[in-house]
Formats: sequence, structure tokens, C-alpha cells
Amino acid sequence: MERYWQIEKMNLKYHIPVHVFVSILMLLVSPLFMGVANLGSQDTAKVLEMYVALIGIVLLPPVFLPEQEHNIRDLVYTKYLNGSTVYLVRIFGNILLLGILLGLYIGMLGLNRCEFPAGRYFCGTLAEMLFLGGLGLFFYGLCDNLVAGYMLPIAYYITAMGGGEKYLKMFYPFSMAGGSYGEKIWLAVGGVVLVGAGVWLRCRRGRKESQ
Amino acid sequence: MSATIEVKNLNQYYGKKQALNDVNLTIRTGMFGLLGRNGAGKTTLMKVIATLLPRSEGEVTVCGKSTLKAPEVRRIVGYLPQDFSMYPNMSVYEAMDYMGVLSGLSREQRRQRIPELLLRVNLQDDRRKKVRALSGGMKRRLGIAQAILHDPEVLIVDEPTAGLDPEERVRFRNLLCEIAEDRIVILSTHIVGDIEATCEEIAVLDGGKVIYRGTVADLIAMTEGRVYSAEIDKRELDDLKSAYVVTSMLTLGNHVMVRFLAEEFPFSSAKACEAGVEDAYIYLMQKERGESVC
Amino acid sequence: MLGQLFIKECRQTTRSLIFWLIVLILVWIYASQLGETEIKNEPMPGQESYGLQISQDPELIMRSTLKLLTEEYFQGNYTTYPVGFYKNVTLNEEENRRIGEILEATAGIGSREEAGRMVEAWYGADSEICLEPAEGLTYDQFNRLMDEVDGILGGGSSYSEQKRRRNAKVPMTYEDAVEEYRELIEEDRLTGGYARMFCDYMGIFLGVLPVFLAVARGLRDRRARMQELIYTRKCSSLTVITSRYLSMIVMLTVPVLALSMVLLQKCIIYAGAAGIGVDMLAFVKYTCGWLLPSIMIVTALGMLLTELTNTAVAVLVQGAWWFIAMFTGIHSLGGGQYGWSLVPRHNTEMNWQGFHDGFGQLAANRAFYAAAALVIVALTAFVYSQKRKGKLGVYGKILANRKNES
Repeated sequence: MERYWQIEKMNLKYHIPVHVFVSILMLLVSPLFMGVANLGSQDTAKVLEMYVALIGIVLLPPVFLPEQEHNIRDLVYTKYLNGSTVYLVRIFGNILLLGILLGLYIGMLGLNRCEFPAGRYFCGTLAEMLFLGGLGLFFYGLCDNLVAGYMLPIAYYITAMGGGEKYLKMFYPFSMAGGSYGEKIWLAVGGVVLVGAGVWLRCRRGRKESQ
Repeated sequence: MSATIEVKNLNQYYGKKQALNDVNLTIRTGMFGLLGRNGAGKTTLMKVIATLLPRSEGEVTVCGKSTLKAPEVRRIVGYLPQDFSMYPNMSVYEAMDYMGVLSGLSREQRRQRIPELLLRVNLQDDRRKKVRALSGGMKRRLGIAQAILHDPEVLIVDEPTAGLDPEERVRFRNLLCEIAEDRIVILSTHIVGDIEATCEEIAVLDGGKVIYRGTVADLIAMTEGRVYSAEIDKRELDDLKSAYVVTSMLTLGNHVMVRFLAEEFPFSSAKACEAGVEDAYIYLMQKERGESVC
Repeated sequence: MLGQLFIKECRQTTRSLIFWLIVLILVWIYASQLGETEIKNEPMPGQESYGLQISQDPELIMRSTLKLLTEEYFQGNYTTYPVGFYKNVTLNEEENRRIGEILEATAGIGSREEAGRMVEAWYGADSEICLEPAEGLTYDQFNRLMDEVDGILGGGSSYSEQKRRRNAKVPMTYEDAVEEYRELIEEDRLTGGYARMFCDYMGIFLGVLPVFLAVARGLRDRRARMQELIYTRKCSSLTVITSRYLSMIVMLTVPVLALSMVLLQKCIIYAGAAGIGVDMLAFVKYTCGWLLPSIMIVTALGMLLTELTNTAVAVLVQGAWWFIAMFTGIHSLGGGQYGWSLVPRHNTEMNWQGFHDGFGQLAANRAFYAAAALVIVALTAFVYSQKRKGKLGVYGKILANRKNES
């Protein structure tokens, strides 16, 4: 356990502070251009699904970044702990961070007299964050390119905005605003699969290239 | 235009840290070696000459052109950085062609020069290979080929032999010597053997200062009569080490063959031997630190 | 040297994974959003509805806007969309009193109770009832007071200049519909209208996708540890940057043009059967005039920020800009109100009149972004030349040393 904590401590200290800062900034500026008080459940869902969930793209894909340099990657992969363990610990830590930020934001919405089912919305939004981030991790792992890791979730988001319900079906991310929750379960499952596949691809690539 | 590099009163600072301290050098055609510990300032000096760093104080001219006029200097300088690399998805030929365009060579010039150079660095059979598939030695040879592609008057190579196997290293040194026949080649290294095999003129840097400037032969001459060897009992080794600077040793059963530096004849079983560059270098560094060798 | 380098850069782009991903996304958007586009037929008489159109009649604008204000004043909270997102504004006592005064001056409604009675009456009524403006109220006065209301509400309300002009919606008559269709056929020669709609969809994605290519290209030198190698070459910084920039612009424009040909072909087939003469170059003209400036500015900004920071921060900056542009544009989807948006909207093949009226603004908008892009490219070349000389702290070791010292 202590080992995992050490990995996470390094993550918090060196790898993730800038991304956390950007996420907090994104959440802090939101009241400047959207209503965060006295919202009904539909409008609250819109804020959470269309804006807050975006921090999933900021916080999850960079998990692979510290080992972008192949020499560092080889070094890390030859250590006793599996490369995938390191990534999974970081991913878990970052999801926890996402949960904390989302929880605080939802708390703020509640204090501002927005009316919505908090627990349900929390889980729904977290599922979307996981899917957006998972999509990024998957393509980062697949292409070994951080830019691809940002581009695909953003393209997915734009498609969803442009009437994507028709094409994305059960993976439509803005369903809560339309009163449907079933998609969130698909997103959560899809997110977990994508994260897993992303880590697997990354570690497989690492082994292949260090041979 | 004179084929010399003049460095006058060069001081280089990174913030408050002084990386180069009043460096004065004149470098002429042929191989010129820069020797020194890691962090002595070799790379900094080379980067200033290659216009990659703005000089803080002093003057640097390359073949009569000030490094302030970077475009003019870049035209006549070839550079091979310490951690040389290329776009991994390009083939050897494409990579050379790309660098040729960046160097302002015409299509005809490139068509003529690239095969010639690939032949010279023995990569002609690998010209279609992707850069990512090259071994360390091949990559380094590609590096030297790209650096002399535009036929520069000055070639700067930063620690080119680090990480090469002995065979590759010898081949690489020979290649550099050939290239240095009609131009200035500045070679930085902390591998003394490279200098011994290739350079006539050297400068030794320590803490940003030039502590020696001259020929290899003169450096060795400074140490003449101060290098000894002896076969001693293993138990005596610690005493010897604390009294003298040991430059090499070889264990033979219970005995050890040691080579060490001493200002005067040390003890009766010691034999004087001929000094090498390595001995001379260590002697120099000891002296610079203000420590006596015995 | 520029020409040869340009060709080499183009060739490199064709090997870039990011480039092909972008092409794939563009094809997918085209197929999903425009793939099933049906070319519009001439309206027939006797149809149940021809859709709604926005009336520019000041009287109608005043009536419908004041009706909205009465409702919101009664409810005590106001809906605004400052950046496209819903914002519920509740006013303090003094601000509410001022709105009351304005409502009295414009609609003659003296109190909240009176407003309530009116709203109730509207809900009970069968047909559409509009509010009569106060007697003697001029359109100028109305406009001035509505600007004040919008100011009190913090902008983005239904009373802003942009929004209130769209408040009065009236059903289109058969004649209106025929006239609009005539404009599509005669003024736009069919292809013009579809080219605009094409630009609308593509513009959304091209407002952000090029940044990925620019960032990937910028970071590739660092990743391949090629920076110093290129820095010491003879080639000028302007040539290096311009060749990269041009290659990205061309390589992004080509697939867009290719996709536009599919829609053009659809138009040609339809026009051939219907005996309409089309403008064959419409898609090329619109792509170059409308989409190219978007590609230019997004690519240029991406290059500059990547050279400046050596990170992917441009993705974040461009993402934020795109986000704001998209959501502010959500209320002018129908075209005609292009403003200075990065993503001008015109989500219909119709409304030639709106395009015609807003053309000056659109042209200024596009020209501005194209010019800004060129300035940014020049700035990028300057940054690059400084990095080549070892300024701007590109060397990690040096920066780290500085930090240690301070």
C-alpha cells in the first residue's frame, strides 16, 4: 500500500499540479458565463454534462505523459513494479481528484438553490468524465501521441453537440439534460473498458519497443 | 578569410552561475579536442560557437565571422549534438535530403552529395532504412554525414563516441580524422582515448576555465617522470591509494599491478613508465585542484 | 528553398497520424451531417406551413419583446444566455423597480399585479395575443430602453439588440417561400446556398481541429530531439516556419475541398434534371473565403503557442476560444448575424437575403482573421529565431540552473 501511496505522491507533486490548476480554473470561471444558481434539474444537467465533464479530458489523458520519453519508459518498465500498476494508481488518483472537484462543484450548485438529484447527477457526470478521459487514454495509448489523446475526446464532444444523439446512441453524453439516465451506465462501462485498453496498449507498446 | 576560430575573453552565465570563465582560444584547421569533466563547460562553449547560445561577454569569430551574425556562421558550421536524433519515421536518405534543403542545397547538389556521403559513412546499403531502425553507431554515422552535408568549414561534434562499441568508436575516430584534413573539427569528449587517437591540439576545461591549452605531446611531457608502476600486495593497496593518485590497477591473485602518479621516485620496487594522455590529464586535474599527487 | 521545404513538409504531413485522424473526422462529419442532404424542391401552393420567418417590422418587434418582458417581470427572474449557456438572473429591489418603470413607459403596465393579470389572460386565450405598446412610444425610444434593460440583466438577454430583432416571428406565406426559393436558384444559383451550409458544418470543426496538427508538428521536433540540428542550419527562421505553416494550411484545405465536391456533384445532378444553371466554383469560393481564414488563424495560434511554450497548451486555449465562439453563436444559427465570431453560423441553405445583408460584416470578420493569422505567423518566426539563438530559455538545463540559483 505504501508503494502505491508513494507513486500517487509523486504524481500529485510533479505530474498533475498544472492540470489540476487548469481544471480548478475552468470550474471557477464558469459562473462568469453560465447560470449556476436557481437552476432546474435540466439546466443543472446541461451545466454538468456540457461543461464540468470537460475536466475529464484535462485530467485523465496526461497520465502517460511523464514516461513519454522512451528512455524513461524503458527505465520504469524494467523496475519491479509493473508499468501498468503505476498508470492504474495514477488513474485511480486522478479519478478521485475528478470526484472531489465534481463533488465540490455540485455542492456549490446545491448551495445556490439549484434543484436536482445530487447523487444521481454526481455519478452520471463522473461516468461521462471517465468516458471522455478514457477515450483520450485509449487513443494516447494507441497512437503514442498526447495530441491524439486530446483530439479524439474533443471531436467526440463536438459530434455530440452537433445533434450526435442519432449517431452516438447509448454513448450520447448529454442524456441527463434530456431526462434519460441509461446512457450513463454505458458511458461508465465504456470508460472503464477504454481506460483498461489504453493502459494495456501503452504497456504492450512499451515492451515491444524496448525489445 | 582565415580558417580559424577565435574565442576572446568569453564569459558565459546561466543566471548567477558562471559556466565559462574568461576563455581565450585560437582553433586552427585540424582536429581540436575539448577535454574536461562532465559540467566543465564543453557543451556550452560548443553551443556558443554553433550560435545556439548567445554569448554573455567576450567575442567569438568563426572564420572571421562574428557569432552575432548567426545566419552567416550557420552557413559554414556543421553541428552534431550530444544526443543526436532524427525524425524516426524518415528513411536515412529522406532525413539527409531534408537536412540538405534546410542547409540551402539545390536539388542537384543534394543528389550528388548525399550518395557520396552515405558511401563515406558506410550507410549506402541502409539508405532506405527508417531512422528508428538504425543502431546507435549507424545513427551516429548518419549524424556526422548530415553535419558535413553542406561541406562546412567547421565541424562541431559533442561527445560523439559515448555509447559506441570499440569497433564503431575506432571507425568513427578515423572518419573524423579524414574529415579534419581540410577543415576545423572540434571534438568534445571526456573519453581520453578519443583525444589520444585523434587530436594534436587540445584544451582542457575545468569549472568553466581553460586550464590547459596546447598539444597532446606537451601535455604528456608535463607528466614525464611522474608516472610509476609497481606490483604490490593487496593489503598495501589502501596505503598506496592514500599516498598517491592511482590511475589504473589490475588484480593478479594476491597481488595488484598499480599505475600511479608521484612527484618523486616513490619506493624501490616502483618502476618509472612512459606517461599517457590519461595520466597527464589526471595529473593536470590534480594540480588544478591544488592537490599534490603525492 | 521555401518551395522544396514546403513539398517535404507536405510529404511529412501525409505520414502524420494526427493528419489522417483529422481527415477521418472530417469525412465522418460530412457523412453524418451532410451525407443525406436532399436538394430543396420548389414550394408548392396549398402547403400547411412554409415555416416561420423573422419579421423586421418595428411594431411587431416591439409587441413581442414587450410581451416577453411583461412575463419575466411578473415571474421575477430573467433568462439570459451570456455565452450561450442558460443563466437565470434575479434582480435586486432597485433594479426591479427600474424595470417596472421601463415597462410602464413602454407598455403602460404600472405594477407587478397588473402584469400578472395580463399574463394570466394570455394563458387563457386561444389565439396569439400581442401586447400593445404604450401610446406615442417611438421605435428609437423603445430601443434605448431595451438596451438599458439588457444592461441591467448583464447582457445576453432577449432584450439585447441582436436578440430583440429576432423576437418577432411570423409564419411565412407561400409568396415568401417562393421568393426565398427564387433567391436560392437565381442569386445563389443553387450551389451558393449549399456551399454556405457546408461551410457552416465544416467551420464548427475547423474552428478547433487544425490546432492539433499544429501542436503535433511543433512538438515533433522536440520529441525527435531535432531542434538543435535544425537550429544550426542555414535556412532562415521565416522560411522554416512559413513552409510548415503553408503545408499545414494546404493539407487541411485539400480534404475539405474534396468533400465539398461530393455535395457539388449532388447539386449538379439535381440542377441538370431541373434545368437550373449552377455556379460550379461556389464551393471553392466559399471554402477559400469562409473556411480558409478559420484554418489559418487556428493553425497560426497553435504554432505560436507551441513554439513559445513547447507544450500542448494551445489545445486548451483553442478549445476555450472555440467553446465560447460556439455557444455565443448558438442564437444566430440561421445566418446573417456573423459578428466577429471565429465560427460564423449559417445553418441553412436558404436565407440568401440574410447572407447578403450581413456580407460586409462576414467579409470583415474573415479578412480580420486571415490578416491576424499572418501576423501571428510572423511572430512565430520571430519566436523561433530567438529560440535558435538560445534566447527564451529553451534549454531545460539552463532554465533549471536559473531556478536553482534564484
